[in-house]
Amino acid sequence: MSEQNPILELRNVSKSYGAVQALTDVSFKAYPGEVIGLVGDNGAGKSTLIKTISGVHAPSAGEVVVDGAVRNWKSPHDAMEAGIETLYQDSGLAPDLSIGANIFLGREIKMPGVLGAMGFMNQRQMDKRAAEELDKVGISVPAGRRTVSQLSGGQRQAVAIGRAVMWAKRVIILDEPTNHLGARQSQEVLNVIRAAKEHGLCVLFISHTLPHVLEVTDRIIVMRLGSVVKDAPTSDFTVESLLGTITGLNK
Amino acid sequence: MSTQETSALPTPSVLSEPNFFQKAVKSQTAILLFVLVVLYCYFGFRNNLFFSSGEASNLITDFSGLVLLAIAETFVIISGGIDLSVGSTGAIAGVVGAEVMKHYSASWGLTQLLLLGTLVCAAVGTVVGVINALLITYIRLVPFVATLVTFSAGTGYALVVSGGGDVADVPGATIWSAKGFWHLTWLDLIVLIVMVGFCLVLRFTRFGRYTYAIGSNPFAARAAGINMRRHIASIYVISGFLAGLVGMFFFIRLGAGSPTTGGTANLQAIACVVIGGVALTGGSGSVINPLLGCAILTIVGDGLIFINVQPTWNQVVVGGIIALAVGVTGFSGVRSRR
Repeated sequence: MSEQNPILELRNVSKSYGAVQALTDVSFKAYPGEVIGLVGDNGAGKSTLIKTISGVHAPSAGEVVVDGAVRNWKSPHDAMEAGIETLYQDSGLAPDLSIGANIFLGREIKMPGVLGAMGFMNQRQMDKRAAEELDKVGISVPAGRRTVSQLSGGQRQAVAIGRAVMWAKRVIILDEPTNHLGARQSQEVLNVIRAAKEHGLCVLFISHTLPHVLEVTDRIIVMRLGSVVKDAPTSDFTVESLLGTITGLNK
Repeated sequence: MSTQETSALPTPSVLSEPNFFQKAVKSQTAILLFVLVVLYCYFGFRNNLFFSSGEASNLITDFSGLVLLAIAETFVIISGGIDLSVGSTGAIAGVVGAEVMKHYSASWGLTQLLLLGTLVCAAVGTVVGVINALLITYIRLVPFVATLVTFSAGTGYALVVSGGGDVADVPGATIWSAKGFWHLTWLDLIVLIVMVGFCLVLRFTRFGRYTYAIGSNPFAARAAGINMRRHIASIYVISGFLAGLVGMFFFIRLGAGSPTTGGTANLQAIACVVIGGVALTGGSGSVINPLLGCAILTIVGDGLIFINVQPTWNQVVVGGIIALAVGVTGFSGVRSRR
């Protein structure tokens, strides 16, 4: 992998909220077609890290580099434009909007001509394409006008993952995608991750479910108290050693 | 739902589409329409004059006076906020517009004068909207507090500008409220066109979609790349703009700018939205239902007079209707979100 150019690189990224130092000097490289597990205890800085990568907030110091170019996101929109999609833990979807509306939120298809210029959306086209694209990534949900609040937890997650995979061009960040899911549904999610890898995407997989992490990732980055404490191939870890590294019991 | 664990990701067909009848019973729009017709018939049968064409025109005009505020409030509430200042903003706009028109009334023709007044009212309303927007997006006051500030200051300022009384002295100003066709005055027609326009915006445009998204889940909206600050600001500016137009509307109807019309209009507008079943938590609600809420309030307001109930009872009845509307929609499960 290392002969390729990294698709995403973090250089000495730090982030503080007032007096609280959430990230300290985080650096790593990620390559196309690589699945990276990002693990750590609560408060280790995982969420802050992905929010920095996805443009929700800017780092206090350091650089986010995408395809060799230093990028300083001003908003999540910039990161999306650059092909980085993020699936947030619970709250990535608007429950009152339809599936199609959620899939296309921020990327609405407009009507042709004058109506489009006035901001009118082509909802039919969006519903149709949402169903097609979700189908393509191996997810079939009742598309159309049903709102996300009417879906089960598993279905919502499927929609959120489908949206991330559909739009990601470079990197896809999945924050606890198997949370609240049954065993079978979790396997489906892991299959979607494998499919994304096949397509040459880089996947950042954040999870507390260590067997899932060991099963699907190529490399694992362990964080503790805002710093990267270990960055090694997945084959170097067992559940026990990974747990030890996360908690800091084995150094 | 217990099949969840054994199936692969999605099992859609469990939730089958409801049939027409089930939809009608569950549809808030159907309930509100039913209530509307029942009320209209009730007042009409108690006093046949209520069915007369003259009263139809009155109803339409009264509806027009409230509906723009209801639309403004619908935008704001769906975005997860609230605007307490719409009525007082209308009052300031009307008073300031009247003062400006009075100033030019000797030298300008009537049409130019009224157009000028419309522009001034819209501008004054927009300025108040901008103040709300700044208080909310930059000072970071919650919308309730921010608009309470502008409501309080605005109500006072309208009295200051007008000296406490109505600002009249623009002869012939009511001319726009007389002409027209069918039951509609030109004024009503303009209001209804603006109303339809904003309904379409909320329902079918990206601006409307973002309004729902922000109210439904601000985090998701932000993560989807929506410029939250700009969007929320625009919503309050639009609200102020519409309130300003309402100020001009009342000026033309009454022939004077009144500093005291705003007081209950805020609550009337919010009542329309609540009766229309729009959740105050934001994110959900139809565009049509607040209009029906507005129509119901209009019919009740006029109807009570026709059946010789003291107008002072109006607010009490409105309170009862709100309680009833919220109760009914609560029981029928229309509002259950999760």
